[in-house]
Amino acid sequence: MTRAEAVAVALSLLGEGDIVVAADGAISREAYRAHDRARTFYMVGSMGQVASIALGLAMTRPERIVGLDGDGNLLMGFGGLAMVGGIKPANLYHLVLDNGCYATTGGQPALSRKVDLAAAALGAGYTWARRSLSGDDTRPAMESWLAAGGPALLDLAVDGEETDAAPRVPMTPEEMATRARAALTWV
Amino acid sequence: MSASRRLDALLEAGVGFVAGVPCSYLKKLFAGCAELPAGYYLPAVREDHAVAACAGAWLGGRRALAAMQNSGLGYCLEVLTSLHLMYRIPLPLVVSDRGAPTDFEEHRILGQSTRRLLDLFGIPWREARPGSHEAESRWLIEASERERTPAVLLVGKEADV
Repeated sequence: MTRAEAVAVALSLLGEGDIVVAADGAISREAYRAHDRARTFYMVGSMGQVASIALGLAMTRPERIVGLDGDGNLLMGFGGLAMVGGIKPANLYHLVLDNGCYATTGGQPALSRKVDLAAAALGAGYTWARRSLSGDDTRPAMESWLAAGGPALLDLAVDGEETDAAPRVPMTPEEMATRARAALTWV
Repeated sequence: MSASRRLDALLEAGVGFVAGVPCSYLKKLFAGCAELPAGYYLPAVREDHAVAACAGAWLGGRRALAAMQNSGLGYCLEVLTSLHLMYRIPLPLVVSDRGAPTDFEEHRILGQSTRRLLDLFGIPWREARPGSHEAESRWLIEASERERTPAVLLVGKEADV
């Protein structure tokens, strides 16, 4: 399964009220193309901060917070795992779209091929974490993840090859922040 | 009333979330943070994660404050520039003012460059005074929200009230 397909499946399983933090680069662009929603915060830049932004949301909002992360991204902000595991927000769901490489920059191999991200999450204190291999059925794996108690991390293997690049999100960063905050705090 | 008059003033000014990494110059402030109810204080593992979590808390509707040693600004630069400055996310920061010639040498290089660093990125800053914590807290919140930018209050050891 490609990363874009996995992003689309994940978004199709979420409810309207769920809040999404989409990682910088391809993951945000694919999330926008698959299903744009005001309750998705699209990142461009600040690599490694998906878990931290999601944690700030999880500590201040009652809704389910879903972080769509990449493996290189998670490795860059590995301390974010410790913060999520230490605080243990029950409403935080962390999906790692794991292609084992830095696909956007040319497919250079990442250490996620050697490092067990699910075991790291459990060690940090996540309530539930699993690795789903490329041959596994994606949808049931995601359903188990979303049915588990949080914080829960699913390390999902996806294809490393980049095909069918999604265009950039056609909003300024200021518009993205303003829209997401307004959607969350509207009364 | 918490262990820190400065924290009390910041809460009075509307702060509803704090994330940070401690500095010995900010002992009182962090002692106050430790007493906050669950969900209000995040003991971050590094300063870039603290400011990123503050961005999340702001998206969630809170006034979010980051607190750290000035050395932590180095770790924060990527997030301050490509998250807070680029998205225009307000971020009040309380930053210890280390690096005086009498301070330990590990604080001198970044400490003595802190003001120039903030000026370089157009981040407004002010130096704290021991008796002015209430007015400074209001300035910090207003400065960060008016322009939707990071704004820094530099706090020396004597101003950790």
